[in-house]
Amino acid sequence: MNSFSESTMDTISLTIDNQQITTEPGRTVLQAAEEAGISIPTICAHEDLPSYGACRMCVVEIEGMRGYPTSCTTPVSEGMVVQTDTTELRKLRNQVMEFILSGHPDSCLVCDHREDCEKYRPNVTKAGRSTRCGFCSNRDVCMVRNYAITCYERHLNLPTLYCHYNLERDDPFMERDLNLCILCGLCWRICEKIHGSPAISINNRGRWAKVGTAFNSSYVDSGCTFCGACIDICPTGTLTDRYARWYGKGNFGWETVCTLCPEGCKIKSTLSDNKVVSTEMISFDRESRICALGRFAYAQLMNAPKRLKRPYIRDNDELTPVSWPDAIDFVAKKLAEYEPGQCATIVDSANIRENLHLYRRFTEEAMQGRFASVPAGDGFDDIDDESLKADLQAGKIKAVVLGGDYLDPELLEGLDCLIVLDYLPSAATKRADAVLPVAILAELTGTFRDDAGEIKPLKRAVDAAGEARPEWMILRDLAGALNRNGWPYDDINGVTEDITNDPAPQPWPGSPRDSLKDLPPRFRGAYLADTVPALKDVGLPSHPTPIHPRPTTGFKILKHEEVVPNFFLITIEAPKIAQYARPGQFVILMVDETSERVPFTLADWDAEAGTITLIIEEVGRSSGELVFLSEGDFIAHVTGPLGVELPVPEGDTIALGGGCYGIGAIYPIARELKQLGKKVITVLEACSSYTLYMESQFREVSDEVIIMTKDGGKGMKGGVQEAFTHLVDRGTKVDQFVAVGCTFMMRMVTETTRNFGIPLQVALNPIMVDGTGMCGACRITIGDETKFACIDGPFFDGHQVDWDELGSRRGAYAAEEIEAIPQDTHHHEKLVPITTSGGCALDD
Amino acid sequence: MNRIKSVEELNRLRDEIRASRDPNKRCITVCGDTGCRAAGSLDLADKLRAEMKQQGVEGEIEMKVCGCHGFCQQAPVVAVEPEGIFYRHVGHKNPERDAKAVIDGTRDNETVERLLYRDPKTKKRIKHYRDIPYYAMQTKRVLDNTGKIDPNKIEEYIAADGYAALAKVLSLDPGDVVDEIKKADLRGRGGGGFPTGIKWGFCREADDQTMRYIICNADEGDPGAFMDRSIIEGDPHSVLEGMIIGAYAISHRVCPAQGYIYIRAEYPLAVQKLRKAIEQAEELGLLGDNILGSDFNFHIKIKQGAGAFVCGEETALIASIEGKRGMPRSRPPFPAVSGLFGKPTNINNVETWATVPRIMKRGADWFTEVGTEKSKGTKIFSLVGKISNSGLIEVPMGMPLRTIVEEIGGGVPDGRTFKAVQTGGPSGGCIPAELLDLPVDYEHLKEAGSMMGSGGMVVMDDYSCMVDVARYFLSFTESESCGKCVPCRMGTQHLLNMLTDICHGHGTPSDIERLRNISDAVAKGSLCGLGQTAPNPVITTLRYFEDEYRAHVEDRDCPAGVCRDLVMYEIEPENCTGCGVCQLNCPTLAIAGEKKEPHIIDSALCIRCGACRDSCKFEAVFTHVHENTPDDQSIVSRT
Repeated sequence: MNSFSESTMDTISLTIDNQQITTEPGRTVLQAAEEAGISIPTICAHEDLPSYGACRMCVVEIEGMRGYPTSCTTPVSEGMVVQTDTTELRKLRNQVMEFILSGHPDSCLVCDHREDCEKYRPNVTKAGRSTRCGFCSNRDVCMVRNYAITCYERHLNLPTLYCHYNLERDDPFMERDLNLCILCGLCWRICEKIHGSPAISINNRGRWAKVGTAFNSSYVDSGCTFCGACIDICPTGTLTDRYARWYGKGNFGWETVCTLCPEGCKIKSTLSDNKVVSTEMISFDRESRICALGRFAYAQLMNAPKRLKRPYIRDNDELTPVSWPDAIDFVAKKLAEYEPGQCATIVDSANIRENLHLYRRFTEEAMQGRFASVPAGDGFDDIDDESLKADLQAGKIKAVVLGGDYLDPELLEGLDCLIVLDYLPSAATKRADAVLPVAILAELTGTFRDDAGEIKPLKRAVDAAGEARPEWMILRDLAGALNRNGWPYDDINGVTEDITNDPAPQPWPGSPRDSLKDLPPRFRGAYLADTVPALKDVGLPSHPTPIHPRPTTGFKILKHEEVVPNFFLITIEAPKIAQYARPGQFVILMVDETSERVPFTLADWDAEAGTITLIIEEVGRSSGELVFLSEGDFIAHVTGPLGVELPVPEGDTIALGGGCYGIGAIYPIARELKQLGKKVITVLEACSSYTLYMESQFREVSDEVIIMTKDGGKGMKGGVQEAFTHLVDRGTKVDQFVAVGCTFMMRMVTETTRNFGIPLQVALNPIMVDGTGMCGACRITIGDETKFACIDGPFFDGHQVDWDELGSRRGAYAAEEIEAIPQDTHHHEKLVPITTSGGCALDD
Repeated sequence: MNRIKSVEELNRLRDEIRASRDPNKRCITVCGDTGCRAAGSLDLADKLRAEMKQQGVEGEIEMKVCGCHGFCQQAPVVAVEPEGIFYRHVGHKNPERDAKAVIDGTRDNETVERLLYRDPKTKKRIKHYRDIPYYAMQTKRVLDNTGKIDPNKIEEYIAADGYAALAKVLSLDPGDVVDEIKKADLRGRGGGGFPTGIKWGFCREADDQTMRYIICNADEGDPGAFMDRSIIEGDPHSVLEGMIIGAYAISHRVCPAQGYIYIRAEYPLAVQKLRKAIEQAEELGLLGDNILGSDFNFHIKIKQGAGAFVCGEETALIASIEGKRGMPRSRPPFPAVSGLFGKPTNINNVETWATVPRIMKRGADWFTEVGTEKSKGTKIFSLVGKISNSGLIEVPMGMPLRTIVEEIGGGVPDGRTFKAVQTGGPSGGCIPAELLDLPVDYEHLKEAGSMMGSGGMVVMDDYSCMVDVARYFLSFTESESCGKCVPCRMGTQHLLNMLTDICHGHGTPSDIERLRNISDAVAKGSLCGLGQTAPNPVITTLRYFEDEYRAHVEDRDCPAGVCRDLVMYEIEPENCTGCGVCQLNCPTLAIAGEKKEPHIIDSALCIRCGACRDSCKFEAVFTHVHENTPDDQSIVSRT
C-alpha cells in the first residue's frame, strides 16, 4: 500500500495506452494524455475553460470505472489505467460524430465531389444561411469539419435534422446562424469567464435548445459588451463577425495596442492580403477583455472605403492630387508665410507618442505656434486651452495644422490657411489648402502611453493605405522643408529616444470594456459611427447619412418567400417581360437607382397575369438586397427578357439537370418541351433534402423526376452528372442533355458526358455582370470563338466551353464583393449606397 | 403553542395532545390530496361541515381533510375512524345528499351501504378498508400517517409519534445515526438505489468543513408518478424530520448545515403544505436554531423548480438552486465532496427522507423485517394505466409483479389482457407478461432491463402498441433532454423520429438494427442518467416485443390497432348484436346500421380512434392492415 495520501503527492503516475505517464495532481486525463503526446479528439474542451463534458468525443475506458467516462472531466489519480483508442471507443466516437454531423449542415462533408468542388471554388460562397461547408465562412478552420474529414467515414447513416432557424442579423457586428450550432457551450462559457454573469446561455430544451440571451432580448439590451470572445472561440460558423467573416481566417496573431482610447488595450489582429480584417483580445482572460471599438471598429476604421490615400493641394480653388514632395513643398511654403503666434496645431491625443511629440515640437519650433491636443474620444469643446479657443474664434489664429475633424464650419471659414493631416475626408478636408493622408492604428510602429502611464510598444502590421504616411514622418519632412535643423530622424527610434517626460493622457471617463454606454464616440474628432455604421446601434452618435429612399414606383413585388434556406421565390409585376419571355431567358434587376445590375434566370412567368417569377439565392450584396425586400415593395429596374432562348433540341428524349438556382431555371424549359411532346426527364440536385424545392411542380411537367442529393438524404446520392450517367447506364436513350446550375456542376456534367456522344447545353449566367454585352465580364471561349454569355447565350455547347478560363473570371471581383457587404445592422430597412475602396475619396 | 426547549417538553406536549382527545370519537377523514380535490373533495368537505353544523353534531363527530388515502380510482374517498369504514365516490353525483348520508350514518352508527366499495370479483360490498384487497395486500410503513392525519396541523403529527425520532437522535452520536441508516440498508428511493447511509457517510467525511447542504429532491417529474407529492401533501413533517435527522448525522460537530427542498412549481399544494409545515416546526423549535434546546441548528429553504425534468438529476438540481441553467455536469467531483455552491452536499429524495424518521424511531431491525436481501423495506408505487384499481400503494420490496398487478391492482379492466408494465417512468423499461412473477426490487428490475426509478408503474393491455408506447416515452425524454450533451440531444431526436416513422408506416426492416445501435450509443455516451436511461423503453420493447416492431416495418401492420396510418377498423357481423353503443361513441358518425342488425364502419369517415372497439362489449370490432400502405416515396432516410 502506498502510504502517501494523494493530496501530499507532487506527481501522479498513471498509464495511458500502455504508456507510463507522470503528471501533476489536478490534471484531467485529457490534459495528461495531451502532455504525453496522446491525442484524444474533443470539441468542447478548451484550454482556457473548465471542463464541460458535452461533446462526448473524448470518451475513454478506465479500469475500475463504469462505462465510458469523458477524459476532459475525469481527474487523474494514482495508478489509473486508461485506454483511449479501443474498438469500442472508436465505434462510440464514430456514432457521436455522426450525431454531431446530423445536427450540423454536413452535405459537403459526405459529398463525393468535395475535393474537386473546393479546388475549383477556392472561396466560400457568401451565403445568407450556411447550408453546407461551401457556404460557410468558417470552412477553412472548422473543427467539426476537420474531425469529420480526418477521422470519420464519409457515409453516414443518419438523416440531417436541420433546425430551420432564421439567420440572426439584427444585432450590430455579429451574425448568428444557429443552424450550425453544435451546442459545445464554448460561447456562453467564455462569456461567463470574462464577464462574470454571462449575457448568453442555452435557452429551451431538447431539439429547441439554442444559445441566446435571456428572454431573447437583443444583444445590445442583454448586457453584452461586444467583446467578441464568443465569436472568436466558436469552433463552427455559427457566430460570425459580420465584417470579417468572408475574408477567411488569414494570418492570425499579430499583437499591437489599440490607441482609440487612453486605456491602450493589447489586441491581436488577423491579417488577410495586407489588410487587418479583425482584431481580438490577446487571450481569453478577464484582464484581456476589450471593448466593442477594439474588437469590431478597429479594422473597419483602418479599411474605411473613404480612406485618404494621396496628398492633395489646393490649386485654383480645387483640391488636386500631387506627389508627396510637391505636397510637402507646398505646405512648407504656405506655413512660412505666417508670423509666430498666428499659427496653431490641434491634434488628437489618441495617437502614438512619437506623432504627438513631433506635432508639439513642430508647432513650437518650426511654426512657433500654439499646440493643443484633444483628449481621446472628445471634440473641440473639450480642448482645455480656453485662450486658444478664444483666439481661434476671434480670428487671431490665421493658420492651423489640424490632425482631425475638430473645427466647425464657421471657424474653418475664418482661417487663412488650413493644413489637414487625417485619414478620412471631413468638413475640414473640404476647406483645406492641403490634405495629407496619414497612417493610423495598426499601420503604425511606435509607442503608446496609456492612462496609467505605462509605455506600450506598437509594431506595424500592415502597410498604410495608399500613399498615407505616419504623421511623424510628414512633420519631419515639413520641418526639413522649412530648413529647420535638428530633425535627423532616420526612423521612428530616433523620435522615441527624443521623448522625455511626456504626460500620461487623461483617463477616459467610464469603462468602455464593461459598458456600451461608456464607449468613446470619436476618433480624430470625427464620430466613429459615421465610419462604422453598426456603432449607431450601440448608442454612439453620428451624423445623418444620406439614405436612398426605397423606390415607390417600378416593378412591384407580389410574392416573396424563402422556399428553402437561402432560396427566395420572388414574383414581380412585369407584364411586358411576361408577354415576351421564352424558356432559358433572363432579366437584369436593379433594386434601386444605385444598385448593381444583376442577372436572374426566369423561373416562371404568366403572360395573362403579367408576372414573372425568379428564384433568388442569397449569395452576397445584391442578392441580399433582394432578399430583404418584401411583398408590396418596388424594384427600380427590371430589364428583359434578355438572352437567346434555348433552341428546341433535336430528338425525342431530353434530360434536364438543375442544381441550386438552376432548378428554377430549368422549370420553363421542362414545361415548354413537355408541351412540344418531348419526353422530359428532370434531374433535381440539392445538397440535402431540406434544400430541395419545386419537386411537385416538376412532377407535373416531367415524364420522370430523379432526385439527387449530395448527402443521400433523399433520392440518390450524388449530383446531376451521376444521374446522367445513371440514365446512360440503364439504357435510356437520351438525345440531349441540358444542365443549369453553378459552374462547378456544369463543368462536372461536361466532363462526365464528354464521351457519351450526346450533346450538352449549359447556361452560363453565373458569370454575367451587365447583361447587355457592354462590360465584357462574361467573355468566354467556345471552341475557337470568343462569345459574350449575355448576348450570345446563356446557352452554349458545354463540351466546347473553356472552363478554366471561365473559372478564373468567376473570382475576378472577390475582394470587391466582400467589401460591398453592408455593415449596418438594419440594412434590410434601408438601402445604403455601395462604397468600396475603388472610388475617389474627396468628392463626397 | 410555545417553543419546545427540550425532549421532555416535547413528550409532555405529545401527552397533552393525546389526553385532550377521545380515542373513540368518530372522525370523518376526507381525502384532500390533489386527485380527490379534482373530484370535488373540498366541496364535499364543506357540505359535510355544513351538515354537521345543521345537525348540531360538531361535538360528537370530528371531520378533517387529510392526505392521500391511496385508492385514487375511487375518488373522492372518505373514511370513518376509528372503525375504518371506507366510502368511495362520495359526492360524485350529489355532494349534498352524500354528505347528509355520511353524517347520518356516522351519527347513528350505521353504514351507508351504497357508498361502500364493491369488490368487482365477488360483487360484494366491503365495509372496512382493511378488508378491501387493494389495502389488505399493502404494508403501509411510510404512508402510515398519510390519509390519517391533518397535514396542516403539526400537533397531529406529534400525536402520531412525530418528531420522536428526532428527539431520540439528538441524544445519539451523529456517527451512530449514520451507522443505523447503514445498518437498515436503506437505498435511495429516487431511482438509483444508492445506499443512503454510505452517501451520508461520504458527505459527513468530506474535507471542506465550512458548510454542509442537505437537499430534498422533490422534483418528481415522471409522467404518471405522484408518490412524492402524496407524501408531502399528506405527511410533510415526516420529510422535514428526516432532513433534520440527516443534517444532524451529516453535519453536527463538523460544521453548519443548511437545507433546501427543491420542488416543482407545478405542485402548488405541496409547496403550500411544506411552507406551513416549516413555519410550524420553526415556531415550535423543532427546526431552526437550538433544535429542541440543543446546540444543533438547521434551517430549510424551499426552492421551486421551473418544470424541467432534468432538474431531478442531482447535479442539474444543484445548478438550478445556484441560479444557473439546470444542466447536469460530470461526476466526479460528487456532490458529497463538492455540490451546492461548491460545498459538500447530500441529496435524497422525498420518500427516502420520509423513511428516515421511521427507521430511527423503530430501529434498523424493524426496517429490515420486510424486503429482500438487497432491497430492504417497503416501496411506494403509483399504479396507473390499464388497471382496475389505480392509485398509490406501498408494498414490501420483492413482492411479485403479479401480486401488484392482479391482486392489488385488480388486473386489467374491460376483459382485456395484461400486456406489459412500464416501471421507472420514461427512464425505465417495459416488462412483459411472461415476467409477471418477477419480484419487484432493484436487482430484478434492472436485470429485466428496467429500473425501480421513483416508483411509477404504468400498466398496458393488449390494445397498447409497444412501438407507440416507446414513441411516447421518447417524445418525453427528447423534449426534456437539456440539450447539453450530444448523444442525448441528437440521439433521442433520431430515436423519436424513427419510432414516429415506424408508427406512420414509414419504417424499414433495417430500422430495427439502427434503433438498437443508436440506443446503445445514447446509453453509453450520454452525460447523465436522463440520457443514459432514455433508450430503455426502446431497448426493452425491442427485447420483448420485436415481433410487434417487425409487423410495423415488414407488414405495415399494427397488431394492437393503435397506429392509425396502418390499420382499418371493421365490424365482424357475426359478433355484432346491433346494440348501437359503438355508433353512439363514434366521434365522426362513421358507423351505420339498424338496431339489432350488424353495423358497418365507413372507412372514409373513420379516423381510427378506437372508440368503437373500446366500447364494444362483444368483441365485434377488430382491426386489420390498411389497404393503402403509406407511400414509400415520402421516406426520408439515408440508407
